[in-house]
Amino acid sequence: MPDETPVLEMRGITKRFPGIVANDAIDFDLRKGEVHALLGENGAGKSTLMNILYGLYTPDEGEILIRGERVVMHSPRDAIAQGIGMVHQHFMLIPVMTVAENVVLADEPRTGGVLLDYAEAEKRVGELAQRFKFAIDPHATIQSISVAQQQRVEILKALYREADILILDEPTAVLTPQEATELFDILRALIAEGLSVIFISHKLDEVLQISDRITTLRRGKHVETIPRAGATEESLATAMVGREVLLEVEKKPVEPGEALLRAEHLSVLDDRGLPAVRDVSFEVCAGEIVGIAGVDGNGQTELIDALTGLSRIESGRVFVGEDDCTGKTAREYLDEGVGHIPEDRQRRGLVLDFTLAENLALYAYRQPPVSRFGWLSPGRMVDRARGLLEKYDVRGGSPQTRASALSGGNQQKVVLAREVERDPKVLVAAQPTRGLDVGAIEFVHRRLVEERGEGRAILLVSFELEEILSLSDRILVIYEGRIVGEFPPTVTREELGVAMLGGTREAAA
Amino acid sequence: MTAPAAAVRPTLLDRLPRGARAVAWAGILLGLLAFFVALPPITVRSPVVPFLLGLLGIAAGIWALTRGVRRLGWSAIVLSILGIGLGYLATLSGEAKLSGVVVWSALLAAMLRFATPLTFAAIGGMFSERSGVVNIGLEGMMLMGAFFAILAADKLNSWPLGILAAIVAGGLTALIHAFVSIQLRADQIVSGTAINFLALGVTGYFFIDTYGDQGTPGSGIPRIPEVDLGFLGSVPRAGEFLEAVFGHLNLMIWLSFLTLIVAYVVMFKSPIGLRIRSVGEHPRAADTVGISVYLVRYLCVMVSGMLAALGGAYLSIGFLGSFNENMTAGRGFIALAALIFGNWRPLGAFGAALLFGFSSALAQRLPEYSTSGAVLFQALPYVLTLIAVAGVIGRSIPPAAIGRPYVKQ
Amino acid sequence: MSDAPSDSEVPGPRHGGDYAPSVAERLALYQRAGGLVTPLLTTVIAFFIGGVVVAATGHNPISTYKGIFEGTGLNWFFPWVSGTERVVAEFNLQQTLLVTTTLILTGLAVAFAFRCGMFNIGGQGQYTVGAITAVWVGTVWADLPGIPHAIIAIVLAMLAGAVWAGIAGILKATVGAHEVITTIMLNWIAYWIGTYAFGGGGPLQNDANKSVPISSDVDPDARLPVWWGEELLQGLHIGFFVAIAALVVYWFVLSRTTLGYEVRAVGFSPEAARYGGINVARNYFLAMAISGVFAGLGGALDILGWQFRLGSLDIQVSQIGFIGIAVALLGRNTAIGVGFAALLFGALLYGTSTRSLDPDVFPPELAGNLTLMIQALVLLFVGADLIVIYLWSLRRKLRRSRLAEVPA
Repeated sequence: MPDETPVLEMRGITKRFPGIVANDAIDFDLRKGEVHALLGENGAGKSTLMNILYGLYTPDEGEILIRGERVVMHSPRDAIAQGIGMVHQHFMLIPVMTVAENVVLADEPRTGGVLLDYAEAEKRVGELAQRFKFAIDPHATIQSISVAQQQRVEILKALYREADILILDEPTAVLTPQEATELFDILRALIAEGLSVIFISHKLDEVLQISDRITTLRRGKHVETIPRAGATEESLATAMVGREVLLEVEKKPVEPGEALLRAEHLSVLDDRGLPAVRDVSFEVCAGEIVGIAGVDGNGQTELIDALTGLSRIESGRVFVGEDDCTGKTAREYLDEGVGHIPEDRQRRGLVLDFTLAENLALYAYRQPPVSRFGWLSPGRMVDRARGLLEKYDVRGGSPQTRASALSGGNQQKVVLAREVERDPKVLVAAQPTRGLDVGAIEFVHRRLVEERGEGRAILLVSFELEEILSLSDRILVIYEGRIVGEFPPTVTREELGVAMLGGTREAAA
Repeated sequence: MTAPAAAVRPTLLDRLPRGARAVAWAGILLGLLAFFVALPPITVRSPVVPFLLGLLGIAAGIWALTRGVRRLGWSAIVLSILGIGLGYLATLSGEAKLSGVVVWSALLAAMLRFATPLTFAAIGGMFSERSGVVNIGLEGMMLMGAFFAILAADKLNSWPLGILAAIVAGGLTALIHAFVSIQLRADQIVSGTAINFLALGVTGYFFIDTYGDQGTPGSGIPRIPEVDLGFLGSVPRAGEFLEAVFGHLNLMIWLSFLTLIVAYVVMFKSPIGLRIRSVGEHPRAADTVGISVYLVRYLCVMVSGMLAALGGAYLSIGFLGSFNENMTAGRGFIALAALIFGNWRPLGAFGAALLFGFSSALAQRLPEYSTSGAVLFQALPYVLTLIAVAGVIGRSIPPAAIGRPYVKQ
Repeated sequence: MSDAPSDSEVPGPRHGGDYAPSVAERLALYQRAGGLVTPLLTTVIAFFIGGVVVAATGHNPISTYKGIFEGTGLNWFFPWVSGTERVVAEFNLQQTLLVTTTLILTGLAVAFAFRCGMFNIGGQGQYTVGAITAVWVGTVWADLPGIPHAIIAIVLAMLAGAVWAGIAGILKATVGAHEVITTIMLNWIAYWIGTYAFGGGGPLQNDANKSVPISSDVDPDARLPVWWGEELLQGLHIGFFVAIAALVVYWFVLSRTTLGYEVRAVGFSPEAARYGGINVARNYFLAMAISGVFAGLGGALDILGWQFRLGSLDIQVSQIGFIGIAVALLGRNTAIGVGFAALLFGALLYGTSTRSLDPDVFPPELAGNLTLMIQALVLLFVGADLIVIYLWSLRRKLRRSRLAEVPA
């Protein structure tokens, strides 16, 4: 039973950024020996609140009490001194250095007060790892170990600094469900050692599984703090988004036509020259949405890049319609009729410093009316953009506005407009709703289903199981670069989850 | 899994090359030998010998290459081809002329003299770049050191004060680079270019303002002394050679060796080095464990300026005893090349500095054969570095976060 | 919003090309912070600090700057300047514009690559190989008839510049070698090639006096006609118009062609351009090669227009390609900006030279170094424009809050 006295109290925390109030008078407390979940959508202010606690941001208003004493934290150094440790969403590890070096950094054992005692460092880290039963070699470099192990190194870093308050920021985002379960076991062991844990997430089932209390944030404001007992996924979802969410998308049954995208025994290497996609074969037919489910980092990115001509195919073939497109360039794929909604619209989907007109012309700039014989006509480019912005209901900018000035949802509409307007046979959508608000998600989902109705072959890659389940006509599961199963959309989450771990219960397709 | 860590640490013996790597090294040595045998004191006159040795070297290189040892394999092949070519040329040359040019002791002593300013600046550059700040202003910092060293040595009549003035001048110049590129987050390359212009302008202005057209006085300026190791001459057999090479080196040359060792220990054996490297690889990670990214970068850039300035001081009050406008003449850039060629490591940079120093020493003597050819020889460091970054012989990989200004959250 | 990771958070992939970040991020800032305020303020501050140095070393900054200004010949534009003063001013202005011509081209060499997200600090080397090529064609191929001779010399020089820069472009495009490193190396290789070519026994050294490391003179047929001033007194050649035309071409290519569209897309976001089907590697190469064309052209115009010969020493002291960096940055990589920045630096360079500055007012040897300092300060401040932008936005914020205080 958790102790009732709070080890940590945050009172009336307010933090403003230009144009946004990220935290608006938020109260939060943590009791000794509990897991307190911090729940909210992307941009709800969870990370901001925790970055304040970790000394990375200074709050504009409010106070922080640790073990009843008021503290002001100017830097992570202060937070570390107060016994706070944080496992960041993007790991704060140096890839070329060893586990031991990463753990002891800034608090190194020394010989003679001057030199770094590498042997002692590796010994201490090894002992610490053993105590919590982490199978980690202190001498291995970070880039040579798995993501789940890297996360444990992050936890070791906090333990090495004798943290008793541990913040985990979206720790399961990069883990398979099984690895997540292992993480929860670790967290329970830590609680048993007397630590208190703040667990940031937007996944309802996990929150219900691990936490003692749950605090929900919405748009920078505190909504509620409730004990786990009595909380349901529905009640939490309502608190999180502010209204009942309808994740169901209305879909008319469509008779799939001919295969428009076909991969045959496709193998692709990643940046480091290691196999990322292994002998993958599938097809996507006109008028169907094929979803690819899987945990991040199982070859999805490499697969998409191969299917859109962005990376070299090691072996196997890709067909678009009847044409063998193996070895063609990205532009030739576009010419063949492959539309691509990339997974990171800010870095890959849009040239943020281009105007909307220029962004919408990212394919059309080589064709009349935008250009003739290599001569560009900015006037006609703007005219064309004006029509498209209206047609696709892009708000918040004119053709002359820079893409960076738009909201995420409208940016994604611009990408959609550009790709769909080319009337592609195939549409590859990677994480099309990541980081969007609910309204924009609905728009994108509706649009994808409409395009399916138009007879396009749509390949949807997403880490969100709900999205895959509600949109797809067929679901393929990718694990370690292989397609390990094919399922109808009626499959349960559990079955998918097992398959995503490379599980044995392969469904008969 | 968590076996006692100490047991798995490699001993020195384990680090010796094995298998294909060893063969590649043998190829490299054979390539060098192909050239070496044609030179005094061996002076083989038949071109067959260098050809034979070189071909063996090439064979060893190819063998290693096919077994996946790319970098060393290519090195062996390239060096062997060079060895054959140069060895052949040497056999064509007159024996007397050859022994006039190739006086090993004099060449090595000259190599050390040419390499010293490069070593200082390259190691300085390593500090800056390992912490994530590009420093193409090394040339300017070196020039500042050269001028203010001679100015202080002359006016205060003391060479130690000259060195001190160089350190201060270099440090302050670097401080400008640090402030602009760390605090104001300006482009580090623009800032470095500006530093080079600034140093050129400041030293030129004050040089002419102080000394006019006459230049620095030819004598009377205190110079950094040589370290006399005459006793080396009494070493049996090798005495004459040792004394000629090491017997009369400038104090700064010995200081550069010391700097090299200290820099290596600091960078790779001390907590400070771990922190510097972490800042250069992943500043946010360093920040989250409480390391001040700005402080580390400031200090590293300033150290780089101080070391580069020491190299400059050696040029003006150690080597030449005079100053003229733009006297560094690109040495800062050769140092940068040495740093990159040496893969941002102290020993690598030192090795490259020695190589470049040797090529300068050779260039100085080559006019015996061809004046114009000797000039062209000066381009060698740049060509080699171009090849190194092009990755034909294994790519030089810079620190991951280099050149990116860090924005505190 | 607050969850968005900043650029420095994620360490980039470990390629050799990451020696410095793509200038794309900064480029965006430069382009956005257009306007005149930053460049003007930058210039004023740089000149002010230069004045402080002059004053601190016991000279009068006002008369010094006045002397430099008169040396530039820019007073020719004042209608009240007449008589011999006007004749002198006319001559000086011609000389200033000669330097401006070259600076426009070396400035464009930096600017064009910049718009493609690359930092071409190899303008100096590209200028040098252009000049060497022009000397070679101009002296060795002497039996060619006049106009084709000049044109062939110019075209080959442009090609040489393109090749020189193209090496850096290809290395960037294929193995990701950072263009800053490669162009530095190429600069020095060009430097030594030039020193070799005109030096003792070099292939392009003059035949008349083997102790002087200088080339022969370019065939008179291949020289560019002078349109303003005396031919014998080094008047202004038609290359000036070529440089102006280059500015127009620069603007036109970037904003009115598909090539320019691709270059700009790559410059702002190579990743997004790649996803949009643009061949990023090809654009890196092309943008560098085009940059080299500008610089090589600059070298050719100098040789065929007024220098007519080149010596080892000329190559060693030349900074014209490096000043191109300051020209491009101060001109914010726009055609008009580069034009005016080139005029400013051209005036400064000539106005402080021994030939124009009255030694009684201020020793020109010092003034030449003053010019270097002012260039350095301009670069420092232009590079550090964040501070200017910061002050500027602070001012606006203050004004807004003051407005808010006024009761409605």
